Amino acid sequence: MTAQTHDDLIAELATELPAWLPTQRWFAGKDRAVTAVRPVSWTTLLDGDPLLIHLVVEVDQEDRTEPYQLLVGSRQAQVPDVSSSASIGLESGLTCYEASGDADLTAVLLELMARGTTVGELTFETEEGAELETGLRAHPITSEQSNTSLVYGRQYILKMFRKLSPGLNKDLRLHRALREVGCHHVADPLGSITGVLDGEPTTIGMLQRFMPDAADGWVMATTSVRDLMADPSMAPEELGGDFAGEASRLGAAVATVHADLRRALGTEPAGADDLDEAVTVMVERLDRVAADVPALAVHVPALRETFEAVRSITSPVEMQYVHGDLHLGQVLRTLSGWLLLDFEGEPAASVAERSRLRSALRDVAGMLRSFDYAAQQLLVGRADDPVLTDQAMSWARRNRDAFCEGYAEVAGTDPRDEAVLLRAFELDKAVYEVSYEHANRPDWLSVPLASITRIMTEGS
Amino acid sequence: MTDDQTTAPAPDGALAGLDDTPHTGEGIEADGTLVEPHSEDFGHAEQAPAQPDWFKRAVFYEVLVRAFADSNGDGTGDLRGLAGKLDYLQWLGVDCLWLPPFYASPLRDGGYDISDFRAVLPEFGTVDDFVYLLEEAHKRNIRVITDLVLNHTSDAHPWFQQSRNDPEGPYGDYYVWSDDHSAYADARVIFVDTESSNWTYDPVRGQFFWHRFFSHQPDLNFENEAVQEAMIDTLRFWLDLGIDGFRLDAVPYLFEEEGTNGENLPRTHEYLRKVREVVDREYPGRILLAEANQWPADVVEYFGNADVGGDECHMAFHFPLMPRIFMAVRRESRFPISEILQQTPQIPSGTQWGIFLRNHDELTLEMVTDDERDYMYAEYAKDPRMKANIGIRRRLAPLLENDRNQLELFTAMLLSLPGSPVLYYGDEIGMGDNIWLGDRDAVRTPMQWSPDRNAGFSRADPGRVYLPPIMDPTYGYAAINVEAQQDNAASLLNWTRRMIAVRKQHSAFAEGEFVDLGGSNPSVLSYLRRWERPDGELDLVLCVNNLSRFPQPVELELGTYEGFIPLELTGDVRFPRIGELPYLLTLPGHGFYWFQLSRLGDEGERRSKV
Repeated sequence: MTAQTHDDLIAELATELPAWLPTQRWFAGKDRAVTAVRPVSWTTLLDGDPLLIHLVVEVDQEDRTEPYQLLVGSRQAQVPDVSSSASIGLESGLTCYEASGDADLTAVLLELMARGTTVGELTFETEEGAELETGLRAHPITSEQSNTSLVYGRQYILKMFRKLSPGLNKDLRLHRALREVGCHHVADPLGSITGVLDGEPTTIGMLQRFMPDAADGWVMATTSVRDLMADPSMAPEELGGDFAGEASRLGAAVATVHADLRRALGTEPAGADDLDEAVTVMVERLDRVAADVPALAVHVPALRETFEAVRSITSPVEMQYVHGDLHLGQVLRTLSGWLLLDFEGEPAASVAERSRLRSALRDVAGMLRSFDYAAQQLLVGRADDPVLTDQAMSWARRNRDAFCEGYAEVAGTDPRDEAVLLRAFELDKAVYEVSYEHANRPDWLSVPLASITRIMTEGS
Repeated sequence: MTDDQTTAPAPDGALAGLDDTPHTGEGIEADGTLVEPHSEDFGHAEQAPAQPDWFKRAVFYEVLVRAFADSNGDGTGDLRGLAGKLDYLQWLGVDCLWLPPFYASPLRDGGYDISDFRAVLPEFGTVDDFVYLLEEAHKRNIRVITDLVLNHTSDAHPWFQQSRNDPEGPYGDYYVWSDDHSAYADARVIFVDTESSNWTYDPVRGQFFWHRFFSHQPDLNFENEAVQEAMIDTLRFWLDLGIDGFRLDAVPYLFEEEGTNGENLPRTHEYLRKVREVVDREYPGRILLAEANQWPADVVEYFGNADVGGDECHMAFHFPLMPRIFMAVRRESRFPISEILQQTPQIPSGTQWGIFLRNHDELTLEMVTDDERDYMYAEYAKDPRMKANIGIRRRLAPLLENDRNQLELFTAMLLSLPGSPVLYYGDEIGMGDNIWLGDRDAVRTPMQWSPDRNAGFSRADPGRVYLPPIMDPTYGYAAINVEAQQDNAASLLNWTRRMIAVRKQHSAFAEGEFVDLGGSNPSVLSYLRRWERPDGELDLVLCVNNLSRFPQPVELELGTYEGFIPLELTGDVRFPRIGELPYLLTLPGHGFYWFQLSRLGDEGERRSKV
């Protein structure tokens, strides 16, 4: 049976999307108005009733045009069991909806991958050696921000990338590389979906083993902090919920992944140009953020000095593939240890920026910042309490140290020994956080600002 | 060596008091062989009704004869006293008693230093009293197992006396003798607090003897066929009387071999298979329970060959689980428990784990890493007196600061994690300990029956009681006793009894497959116990435990059971039907739920039990 292309439906849908897209959590362009939405390719995956169409659209927002993918479902005989925010009413009276919440329809994606088929421009494949169990129903996980992930049974998780960029996705590429060198700290990649964008094969989905036994690092760490805040008289090391053992094992896992990435994809020495450029980027960000956030102004001279110091580093700095956006929410504690997730890199960064080689200390800095956040999250919005603040600081210190010690055990060198670079990266991250919190969560601004004060004081 | 020493066994004071009852060494044959009592010399108990695999679903209760009830007013518990309390144990729901050794002994190691395998310690009674206890227990469908120490004897045992005095006699080779102390250097010293070597010099024989435990407990020489047979005959003696099985103490250490650590050696397993053959052939339905304080991967070896359902011990204690239950609750993290269960291999079809929270020993921390041990000390043994060897000597209630919610949570996990639960006497009423008593006596004080004199344990003058009952305001017998708690429907005792009864309604608890459900909240431990009944129906039990002191939500992935209804087991409360989305539950601090997942429709009840 040749599936219909449903061109009319798509055209009608496109007129509704400018209003609908900004209501979706994963839509990354909420900062400016949507001026036009153009369908660029669509593929019918299930024809008839119900109907399932894979759709890629280009979204125009002032001077910016970005591609997104959608799963469009439509049912006539039966009302779909999805949330109202997913539905897209059409003038013709037909109701379409974003179908990632419709388990009857999403089951098709897994079937197609298991069969290894091509439908129109879409190629569904399994990874080499992977065998998939089909007939599983999926539900989307609620914690996902910028993409949509579907969990099939308790076995698989399919990440559908929402904002697309042409080419092989970095997340899939690094997962494959890590699997090839036998890395134990990532979830096995099992399959993928590839479309075509700008004439180039483009990853639009990645299937991985799901870890039903897992809890994410942020929840694990904040469980420990919760214990601490309930007993402010006790030191973190005396607490039942002490996290240092986990932090140390996490450090070891991150160091292992870094070593595996080097083994799989090589390294390059950083030249003086690379360091200069890194400094330039950091200083530019500092100036830009300081202009917006007055509270940062007092720190600017010292911060600039810290960044500038990177130029005079003489010891060799290795550049390699890194995670790129490492924090406690990107790691999973499973029964067999820590796993790292989502190797896409910072969602806000450009594709070129994400796929550049960087110092592994970037990831270390990201995780160290995350410990500060975990420690202070319960203080946000509370009246100043010096006792609790001290507690939070000592929790963060203990776990940052434990993380670095665990890292050093595997890496052979302690990241804290590369103090100039590590401090600069940490502070750069904190400056980014200042700008983010200023724009999105003013209550939280105190967290990165307190960290900047602390790092600057510790350094002197 | 004089003739006197070779013709007359020289039991020291340990055998005193046995003059009027049959005992080993009351006579001696011309060739130097000791006369030992035989089972035909005593009455035999009727067996409990035959139930194959009874041990897989039994609730065990460890009780110290000395500590439970004193029938003759001498200040020490005895076998007749215990027999008088069987109605209470039946009421509680106990299926099997585990008695630590009640044999003749100089009592330098709580009775594990046995000086006659075929005699009862006089203060506990006689072999006939034991047969009476068995008979009464079996009438109530309660079974009885006891400790048997295969590995060593007391140095007061007539065998050792003969061995040291007459190296050429029939017992000369019963123990591991050596001219020097250099052999088996790789075997660790277990009681590091008191012993510096596994060899001790015996001036009588002029040689060193080998001992894995105390220097007054020489190891038997299992290389010697006669020793192997003598120990099997010891088992036969008690099995003939009607006992239901043995907990084999210190079982990994039977054989020694140069260049090894002397634990879990192949020849030890070979001997256990031989013992099992005897039990299966001559005494079917009786069990062997291994005490092997080892990692699960090593312990499963004691079940034997999985292809035949196991051909060594029927049961083994799961030692590493217990400290991790404590650790998990203190850390508010399910990972310590989930990890050790994941590392626990499948066991043969005819076998079962024994699990426990506390027992007569210290809370042993051998099966944890060094870091974890430091952590456990810091958390649960804040006073140095609470530590003993590598462990913590405390009872359950004081370990949990007498927090009723935690006591219930721990007990609920004990009754629902994989394995047959072993309760320790007194923990069902939340008894306390006395850390000022020596050695491990802190947790061996008299059972608290009532607020009467000596806690209702004994009519003796208080000064004569073997250990003072607990008298502090929190745990003392005035506050904590069986009588008061039986009258109070909300007491820990009545709660425990109800939970045992609920457990018995669902074979899934006893024999179900264990499925850890994981989940995004690390403070909540959730698991399914899944059992296919003989009629093909599923018995599905869902257990959800909040390890945190704060209330917690949890979303469970129960997609496979879409359409099932969770039926709360203590109150038969119907919860909302499981849908396609994760199932949301909220739990109070240290709260737990037991559910049966039922296919019952809206049309009515169709509970599946057992």
